[in-house]
Amino acid sequence: MAGPADVSDRRKIRIKVPALTRVEGEGALDLSIRDGRITELKLNIYEPPRYFEKFLEGREPAEVPDIVARICGICPVAYQMSAVQALEQIAGFTPSADLNKLRRIMYCGEWIQSHALHIHLLAAPDFFGCNSITELARSHAAEVHRGLLLQALGNDLIALFGGRSVHPVGVKLGGFHRVPDQAARTALADRVDAALPAAAELVRWCASLPLPHDDQDFVSVSLRHPSDYPITGGRLLSDTGLDVDISEYQQHFVEHQVPHSTALHALLNHEPYLVGPLARLNLNRDRLPAATRALADETGIRFPSRNMFHSLVARALEIHLALTEAARLLAQPDDDDSLTTPASPLPAGTGFGCTEAPRGTLWHRYDTDADGLIANAVIIPPTSQNQSRIEQDLHRSLTRLGLNRDADSLRLRAETVIRNYDPCISCATHFLTLNLVRDTSPTDPSDRRPLLLLGTGSALGTDSRAPQLVTALARDPTLQPYIADGRLRLLASLQPLRDGLSLADASARLVVLDTLSGTPTAGRLRHLRLNGAEPPPAWSSHQLSLPQLAELRTLVGVDQPLELLALPPAPTTTPDGPVQATHVAVVRDWLLTQLVARTAVSDTEPADKSDPA
Amino acid sequence: MKPSVAVHKFSSCDGCQLAFLNLGEDLLALTELVDIRHFLEAGLAEEDAKVDIAFIEGSVSTSEDAARLRHIRDNSRHLITIGACATAGGIQALRNLHDTTGWTAALYASPQYIDSLDQVTPIRDVIPVDLELWGCPVNGRQVIAAVQQLLFGVAPPRQQDSVCLDCKRAGNTCVLVSGNAPCLGPVTHAGCGALCPAFGRACYGCYGPLENSNTEALAQQFARLGLDAAAITRRFGLITSGAEPFAGTVAKWRGLPT
Repeated sequence: MAGPADVSDRRKIRIKVPALTRVEGEGALDLSIRDGRITELKLNIYEPPRYFEKFLEGREPAEVPDIVARICGICPVAYQMSAVQALEQIAGFTPSADLNKLRRIMYCGEWIQSHALHIHLLAAPDFFGCNSITELARSHAAEVHRGLLLQALGNDLIALFGGRSVHPVGVKLGGFHRVPDQAARTALADRVDAALPAAAELVRWCASLPLPHDDQDFVSVSLRHPSDYPITGGRLLSDTGLDVDISEYQQHFVEHQVPHSTALHALLNHEPYLVGPLARLNLNRDRLPAATRALADETGIRFPSRNMFHSLVARALEIHLALTEAARLLAQPDDDDSLTTPASPLPAGTGFGCTEAPRGTLWHRYDTDADGLIANAVIIPPTSQNQSRIEQDLHRSLTRLGLNRDADSLRLRAETVIRNYDPCISCATHFLTLNLVRDTSPTDPSDRRPLLLLGTGSALGTDSRAPQLVTALARDPTLQPYIADGRLRLLASLQPLRDGLSLADASARLVVLDTLSGTPTAGRLRHLRLNGAEPPPAWSSHQLSLPQLAELRTLVGVDQPLELLALPPAPTTTPDGPVQATHVAVVRDWLLTQLVARTAVSDTEPADKSDPA
Repeated sequence: MKPSVAVHKFSSCDGCQLAFLNLGEDLLALTELVDIRHFLEAGLAEEDAKVDIAFIEGSVSTSEDAARLRHIRDNSRHLITIGACATAGGIQALRNLHDTTGWTAALYASPQYIDSLDQVTPIRDVIPVDLELWGCPVNGRQVIAAVQQLLFGVAPPRQQDSVCLDCKRAGNTCVLVSGNAPCLGPVTHAGCGALCPAFGRACYGCYGPLENSNTEALAQQFARLGLDAAAITRRFGLITSGAEPFAGTVAKWRGLPT
């Protein structure tokens, strides 16, 4: 690795993190530093999408718990619970107090198991210079054994209700296939009570670790319940004033795709936000049981906290909370032994479910058809909600650490920052490979073809959205270096070309920016490479046809397939209202990915995949 | 020198790796017996390590997966696939039943960034596999047993029993016979301990089909119980829809009118 940096160098650092976030599998962190500033920071997710939301269509509601459990091996219970909540709403079924109690115990088991695994297997080794829990066990055997004991107890609580802790089989619409008897509950309750002192010690140990000071501004989002610490339900709250029913989620939180990720990013009012243990604690400290709250106070940390490194302590506190709840609820006898079941098949309808998975708010929506089968599913996991926040955090954290630090320090800080979020497959954090390239020349991209972005429409008339957007992009500071060295050309209309402007480079990429007519939500960009086939009419409000495309290509003088970049219609009352800042950002981000060198993994764009469907 | 082990993950939920991580104390004991060289979730990274035993979790979903698998095969003396995804394509093999050209576009605004193969395939379609451990999730005891058996130089025995035998051993009431529930137990590998029938519900086949089992006769029985063709298709086409003979039964009943 390289030594201390010379700030005047045009220094480019690429950090690669394999296996990152909820979507498990390959992920990379791209970091570019130039002249002492971060110019590019992207969390790239390469995990192949498994298309759960699509193959849920046409399935019976009774199958949904078994299906969605397979989204995540560490938190299957969370998926099952959010799902049954939504489906029971469609059925018009209200869980009894007994059922809510039993579900809460099972969910506590998952919190205990997941948090204990994260703290000991994934996070703790860092604070002792170890690479793994097995190394840590040599120097801190007692703490490791304590962690494994808590993890096993969590697993057994889940298995009490579901037979096994990974993809348990007990949850169903209307309740459980088998309710554990009192003897089984009592046996587990004894173990839970016996574990409380260990959980308290764990909180103290976590608070004693050398956690960096790194306060940042961020928005915390979680559920909130009238009386309990939120696990199984509540209203959606933020610490900036949001307080809505879960059915309104899609009106406030927008998912959009970024080019470097196969997981959709979510924004609240166009801003990144945090879900997870720290967000929950920030919003619900007053809901902690007395003993847990006393422990929180004992740590000396003031909650709400702005320091993501306190997430570790938040997790330990939540283990204590979950054990306390489980002990309390296991001891409560059932009011009513009977279990009712919702009528089958379900009616046509829409249902929402939102619960707090170990990693944060997990939101489901299902629509059923007239046959009572699933017609549509939307599932928004906590880790994808955190992705924008992780990027924002890395940006600020690394800048604050000092971008002139050596490569190893930067890499280690990035690792620990990512780990605070406990992305669901946190294995990444140990494998940041830092390739430090010191050069004084412009970045060395794999694709040096100039890119010409052309906004269709008329800058003067009502059809001015794309030209206005191109004009806004021309003013964007991050694009200036590329415009200056000729790698990016922005044209707000065809007129200069008709007037005789020529582009010398026939290999240039011609990308036409256009407005999509009639489809989904704001922020989504669609990109097509047109290999001679006519685009489907729905893609282009200008109904770009083959002859017009041919004219464009001749006019511009390029010999490459034309590319179409289509914006969704603006959600304003006038079809061509003021250019939205979101769309400028989305198109700019896309341009940056095209202009800056990409990693070996992402620079293959299978041409046949971009043919119009 | 201790035998060396690697654990590799492909397209999966990660639940089978938890077979190791949920071992608790036994995980630490395992590391005394073997040298775990690569296991990302446990914090050990050495993708290119040459090892005695490589465990593979997950199905093949992208063109890079195939190349990575061949590399792993070259570096491993024994290669064991664990779980429904690696052995059968897993639940995401349901994608193979649909025309998915529109799916990526429906979910992702810029579908060309998504490098996805058309078909989800199990690991053995790409490289030779020495042992398959089925299950969703795989049974952690079976995995450890396989490690121990290989360390002793013994070939791990193939699992040939159906779930029915585990039900009989446990004394469960048969849900198919007494409950008219569409149970896949007669045609599914044992290994889970017959959990679902113990919970009073029909087995849904997460340990995958037994080879040469009579799925067609069972499908006919489901029809007599009142399931229509679409429901029968769903029954056999869930966790291991890509594995025979489930795949054949799914293909046949999909074509039938409901």
